[in-house]
Amino acid sequence: MNPDGSLVRLEGIHKWFGANHVLKGVDLSVMPREVMVVIGPSGSGKSTLLRTINMLEEPTDGKVLFEGTDLTDVRVDLDHLRTEIGIVFQQFNLFPQMNALGNVTIALRKVLGLSDEEARERGQQELGHVGLEGKADAYPSQLSGGQQQRVAIARALAMRPKLMLFDEVTSALDPELVQEVLDVMQRLASEGMTMAVVTHEMGFAREVGTRMIFIDEGVILEEGDPREMFASPQHERTQSFLSRIL
Amino acid sequence: MKSRFERLRAWFAGQTSTSASILVIGSSALAICLVGSLVLLWTGGFTPYESLLASIQSDRQGVLLWLAVALGIAAVFWGWRAFRRMPTKPAREATIAGAVLGIQAVVLSGVYLWFRFGKAEIFTRNLLRFDRLEGLGGEFVTGAKNTLILALSGEGIGIGIGLVFGILIISKRRVVRAPARVYINFFRGTPLLWQLIFGSAVLVVGFGLFPRNPFMIAIIIIGLNAGAYTAEIFRAGIQSIERGQMEAARSLGMSYLQAMRYAIMPQAIRRVIPPLTNEFVILIKDTSLVVVLGLTFAQRELLAVARDAYSATFNATPLLGAALGYLVVTLPMIRAVTWLERKLRSGLVGVGG
Repeated sequence: MNPDGSLVRLEGIHKWFGANHVLKGVDLSVMPREVMVVIGPSGSGKSTLLRTINMLEEPTDGKVLFEGTDLTDVRVDLDHLRTEIGIVFQQFNLFPQMNALGNVTIALRKVLGLSDEEARERGQQELGHVGLEGKADAYPSQLSGGQQQRVAIARALAMRPKLMLFDEVTSALDPELVQEVLDVMQRLASEGMTMAVVTHEMGFAREVGTRMIFIDEGVILEEGDPREMFASPQHERTQSFLSRIL
Repeated sequence: MKSRFERLRAWFAGQTSTSASILVIGSSALAICLVGSLVLLWTGGFTPYESLLASIQSDRQGVLLWLAVALGIAAVFWGWRAFRRMPTKPAREATIAGAVLGIQAVVLSGVYLWFRFGKAEIFTRNLLRFDRLEGLGGEFVTGAKNTLILALSGEGIGIGIGLVFGILIISKRRVVRAPARVYINFFRGTPLLWQLIFGSAVLVVGFGLFPRNPFMIAIIIIGLNAGAYTAEIFRAGIQSIERGQMEAARSLGMSYLQAMRYAIMPQAIRRVIPPLTNEFVILIKDTSLVVVLGLTFAQRELLAVARDAYSATFNATPLLGAALGYLVVTLPMIRAVTWLERKLRSGLVGVGG
């Protein structure tokens, strides 16, 4: 727990890609059991922001505090702390050479050091959690996009993380496959998982989000209750973004 | 999908008398040149070389070749004028095929005729004395075995080195990258022949290694050379894996090396099998360079066997035997590469395993 009671706290995050200033001093806290939804135009830096939370993107400047530990400190055991932060990607990024169960259990065995038996048991349980108990032996290439993404969610959940990051997880899916993934995420939220979600699914943001953040050009312009923000956005750029997307 | 029989029937139905004639003329031109000559040589006998020479210089052979040239030219000219006017696709294709076969017949017959007008006697006596191959069979088998041992152990060492150095040269740390780069560029930038000559001096004189075993020295140097090429193949293979794979593995708490071991390398290795096999075919042929090291009798590989037989009898026919030996070893490998590439592209080997 961070001093302010948050699970994750970003302080003054700046990120430069070469000459491109992507994040311009972002401060942000994620409280336990919160579902924080991040929206914003493409190129606004929302994915980069999410990826700094587990240090897939190293911030050029600023601090990432996770349970009181500064992840930007080089002395930190990042590999260990990453086991407590799950992430699901837009492109699934399943390991194609392993079947669904293998994808879910590889890190259980090799990182957490579970026995094959324990790993298999937990893996089956997590696949069941996302509604894929029958697909343990299927390889990613044999699964639909929605099923692959649910395996990816199960893979992250199997580590029993304290925080789950979702990086536009439905953007690469065919429209008819979006809902099955959103359903899993909604159930996860109702079970009390702390989540940070970058998404274009405004229905999901409104129904499931407990807090919403609008980011544009690397700056958080507005944050608040999703329903209120949708009903009466304060900032002019939030208004124009929402009017274009809704 | 139509059956092969149905497709064949459609093909026949699409022919016109013109297209059928051109195809028949073109293919018979090539058949006369190839099959006709072979039958003629066969009936005359390949050994002794005098009878082979007599067949080559016979009037009958001359008639066959000029006939092939005439038919070939006819097919080319007629086909060239007719193919655009063919009413169906099968007819058009048959016309083009007839003309192309005609060109091949003209070229091959022309080369043969040129050879007959030249010094066929000297050539046949020195390079086509197949009776000189008798009794060399066992030596060629030993030679092929040694060639394969050299290539396989060289490739084995090469893969070991290549795996490590392929990972080293993509390190983000320059101090790790630089020495690996120096090794790879040196062995890729100098000829294997030079490496064998200079390297054997270094190993024997400098380090006192294997003073009486040029075969071992050859294996080491070939392995070092193959390692440099293999490292580049592995580097390309690793870099061809999507960045998201590494990110997914790292986000699960794996270290860089764990991510390499469990996520990246299994995919990369599958992707480099075709170029690796290709490199192995090249290596098989490059083992012939070890003749410069002066191998012992039992250590000789294919080219050394052929060259020794050449110098012993002053007849170059054994070189053809060596070529046959190389082809017997390399052709299945070349086929395997094509097969693997097709399988990998269709994704059948992409999953499982």
